[in-house]
Amino acid sequence: MNWINNCPLKTEQTDLLLDDAAGTLARRGLDAATMAALRDHMETCPDCLAFRAGQKMVWAALDLWEPGPVSQDFNRRLWQRIEAAAAEPWYARLADSLRMTSWKPLIPLAAAIMVIAGGFLLDHPAANKTPDVTIIEADQVEQTLDDIQLLRQLDATTTQGSTQTKM
Amino acid sequence: MLQGVNSITGTAPTIDLDAQLMLRVKDGDEHSFTVLLEKHRNPVIHFVFRMVQDRAVAEEISQEVFLRVYKSRETYEPTARFTTWLFRIATHLALNWLRDGKKERGHQRLDAPAKSEMDGELPTREVSDRRPSVEQRMVYETRLQEVRTAIALLPEKQRAAVLMHKYEEMEYSQIASVLECSESAVKSLLFRAYETLRSRLAHMVTGEAHS
Repeated sequence: MNWINNCPLKTEQTDLLLDDAAGTLARRGLDAATMAALRDHMETCPDCLAFRAGQKMVWAALDLWEPGPVSQDFNRRLWQRIEAAAAEPWYARLADSLRMTSWKPLIPLAAAIMVIAGGFLLDHPAANKTPDVTIIEADQVEQTLDDIQLLRQLDATTTQGSTQTKM
Repeated sequence: MLQGVNSITGTAPTIDLDAQLMLRVKDGDEHSFTVLLEKHRNPVIHFVFRMVQDRAVAEEISQEVFLRVYKSRETYEPTARFTTWLFRIATHLALNWLRDGKKERGHQRLDAPAKSEMDGELPTREVSDRRPSVEQRMVYETRLQEVRTAIALLPEKQRAAVLMHKYEEMEYSQIASVLECSESAVKSLLFRAYETLRSRLAHMVTGEAHS
């Protein structure tokens, strides 16, 4: 069932309806003229009146649920746990405090660091030049090997020519 | 209160009494912790009980809440109201318990008997001679079970918001701080939750009118 179909408060300030039903509208510190206008509206608007009646019914129903007394040894059990926790070794207490630490606030920080790091790597690809350097070095080694090979061939040719000359 | 104003400077915010007590706990004053425990024990246990609807679990979770408060004393900083911090821990643990055990428990709780160990006795204002008849008790327990079921069927965040708003009389801003969401999100949560409750509990009024 929809209690407020046409009232403008439905889409604009639904909390005003709740405060009105709870009788806490005055706590909002609205100026007298606004309060008077609101009161006039709420006393005559069928949607607001229906909302107020429905909400009061809900709160009356919720008032039925009154939790009973708490266990009498609650405090004693708690102090036992506190004493047991105090007797734990330092590493257990450290692990416990880390477990209790909320890491949620650090998530945006970690995300920001990752974004900055990513941007830095994109803007400064120097770090990626290592493979180029390796390629250059490989080229140089290959060239050197070729040179050595050529020298060996020249040396062999020279040696063969001198042997033939001696004969 | 945090939003209070220092009487000397007129500008610096002051901290609430509970936060002052907690700062004394930080300085090693265990008596201040006992004062905090006595003051907030029942509200915390009742809030958790209404969240999880199980007495033993509610007390176990509440023990963990106060244990965490005590363990955190050395690093405590009064950056928010003490009750905001306290209920944030309680809500976090209660929601974790609900989420961890949802698959195992299913809807078992909703089918449980109407009166749990921690449900209060039939309020005396319900009866004329202060001793409820069997019929009155049955009617009360049936209605109580309907209320419990209606609340249990709310989504977890809506449930927490309603319990803090209705039973702890917290302001929207404080509920928002506890649930770590915006104030407008809290208003939306509450409005949808109450709309659902109005729909689910409407027959209780109709029934009363006919009886």
